[in-house]
Amino acid sequence: MRQTSEHFKQNVTSALQQPNLRVALDRTTSLLQQRRRDMLASFPEYERVREVAAQIKDHTLAHLDHYLEEFEHNAIRSGAKVYWASTPKEATDIIVGICKAKEARSVTRVKSMLGEEIGIGEALAAAGIERVETDLAEHIIQLAGDPPSHIVMPAMHKTHEEVAELFRRKHSSPTESDDVGDLVESARRELRPKYMDADIGISGANFIVAETGSVVTVTNEGNAELTTTPPKVHIVNVGIEKLVPTMEHLTVFVRILARAALGMEITQYTTFHNGPKRTGDRDGPEEMHIVLVDNRRTEMFDSFLRPMLRCIRCGACMNHCPVYGAVGGHAYGFVYPGPMGSVLTPAMTSLKQAGDLPNACTLNGRCQEVCPVNIPLPDLMRKLREQQWREGLTPSTFRHGLGLWAFVAKRPWLYRLGSRISVGMMRWLAGKRGRLSVLPGAGGWTKYRDLSAPQRGGTFMDQYRRSKRR
Amino acid sequence: MVARELILARLRRALNAPRADATAITAEADALLPDAREMQPKFDGQSNRERFMEKVTSERLTGTVDAAADMAAAVGCVRNYLMRSNLPLRIAMPPMDTLKTLDWGDIAVHGDIAADEAVSIGLADYAIAETGSVVFTSRPDSPTLYNYLPLHHIILVEADKILRYMEDFWAIVRADGNVHPRNINFITGTSGTADIEAKNVRGAHGPRFMHVVIIGAD
Repeated sequence: MRQTSEHFKQNVTSALQQPNLRVALDRTTSLLQQRRRDMLASFPEYERVREVAAQIKDHTLAHLDHYLEEFEHNAIRSGAKVYWASTPKEATDIIVGICKAKEARSVTRVKSMLGEEIGIGEALAAAGIERVETDLAEHIIQLAGDPPSHIVMPAMHKTHEEVAELFRRKHSSPTESDDVGDLVESARRELRPKYMDADIGISGANFIVAETGSVVTVTNEGNAELTTTPPKVHIVNVGIEKLVPTMEHLTVFVRILARAALGMEITQYTTFHNGPKRTGDRDGPEEMHIVLVDNRRTEMFDSFLRPMLRCIRCGACMNHCPVYGAVGGHAYGFVYPGPMGSVLTPAMTSLKQAGDLPNACTLNGRCQEVCPVNIPLPDLMRKLREQQWREGLTPSTFRHGLGLWAFVAKRPWLYRLGSRISVGMMRWLAGKRGRLSVLPGAGGWTKYRDLSAPQRGGTFMDQYRRSKRR
Repeated sequence: MVARELILARLRRALNAPRADATAITAEADALLPDAREMQPKFDGQSNRERFMEKVTSERLTGTVDAAADMAAAVGCVRNYLMRSNLPLRIAMPPMDTLKTLDWGDIAVHGDIAADEAVSIGLADYAIAETGSVVFTSRPDSPTLYNYLPLHHIILVEADKILRYMEDFWAIVRADGNVHPRNINFITGTSGTADIEAKNVRGAHGPRFMHVVIIGAD
């Protein structure tokens, strides 16, 4: 997808001016936070599972070369074909190549963040192949022409009134109602024939299992199975970090993924795909193709960002992030928003383009707290800021400001003099009201609210000294 | 194959360690798994059947449950469900011998499932008490689409096939030679979506109604 992370600040300004977005985000994130809290109350084993999950991911990463080869071997044994792609372009070339070889006209697709990451939609469009998104949220944003705004609920930015209006314009037999149930039924009617008529079904994978070569998908809607069963060909695009060693290891993740994402014990559908249909099977694809994609994961692997490769894409970090909650997913300008996106986007694009993202963080630590695999997201963002500083990517006003501050801070007498003058000035400016509505250098603050003037009694140091004397 | 070698070479360069042998890696992986009981939700006071029923009929899974003494009696439960739900006495049925040999009476069964089929029936391989899931595997007599196309999904589950946890299913698969069919489907309740304002709605793409008939005593 088109990346707009370099315009983060403009994106934020325009996001804050959309009243509907605020409504949609409030309705959704507060509900998800509540569901997750309720779930934790009834699952005291959660902390232990979380600890084990992180250890399994670290182990798998520490032997990723071994596990990738084992997966490839077993997937081939199950009858699948396995491809490797270093770049998004290589990956989409492979996928479009298969579609062309099969003379596919229509492709159904189950949402996968990796598919978004490599730009599968644009690649299929360029090849003139019809793409039908089957996940309800992806269906909504495909009709609206929007990019996704959340990794689990890509249409989080839309209110149900907006969806109703959209379906009335785009569906062949739409509903007059704004009721969410009627809207879902309208999408069911619209998509049903498309499942059966598609030439190829494309899915991602929530996990892949080395021991068996299995591709695992989890959905609540049942669209994965309806996408991958009727067409003659099933193509899987998956990141190389999605591996787990065995079914027993996988079970640990099944227990935390839906809990972290939605506060559910398990999603409605957890399916293991093992190659094409077998002799005598009445349905299922005749061919299964699996494309393993790097897209700079090996670079992250070789840096301080390696823990980020534990990520299972649950979305808990963004559901609990105050910045995401205020500006929504689009402002981040890439496939992955919120805290995990603020780390992944600079890694997958460049720190120059996406440098604002790791800075748009209050470091309140909620993201790491709720992360089911304990990724140190605040640390990673701090380190990205350091890297930015080292590489000279920080804006010059910021660098000079910090330099000036450092000069003053290293000279206590100057610092104290400065703060005494400031306190006096602020009290004088505030006058009898005791509040400042304009303050040079802090316009961003005073534009929206007043600043209280400092209390009587001088600077902090003055007050501290007096209290010690007493 | 260029990308394959490139990716593996990058990983190995970053790891910068001699390759461990496969046995050592497997041993390390197994050692990471504590006793499963440390990670499984507890329901000590409940039998597998009780927990399974509680989960299936929960607000989240929105299923209904019935019980029959044996397969023959299950036909009566199916008929009752169809009558109660104001459905025609017509169901799609996979070509499974256990089902085909039953006397279906005035219920018309057919083996040609349509994209908008009203009702289909299936016999689950297993069920999982922990989550209220049923497990289907694809085979010539158990096509996958029977579990996803209908609006009403009637699922027969033999009481002694209700396992306690997901791990128990993998133990059985391993004991049977670790064979994995094209699809293994864990189905937990009715198809749902929360994609519009996080509100739960049923019947997104798969079945909107799930009716489980538990057969026999456990």
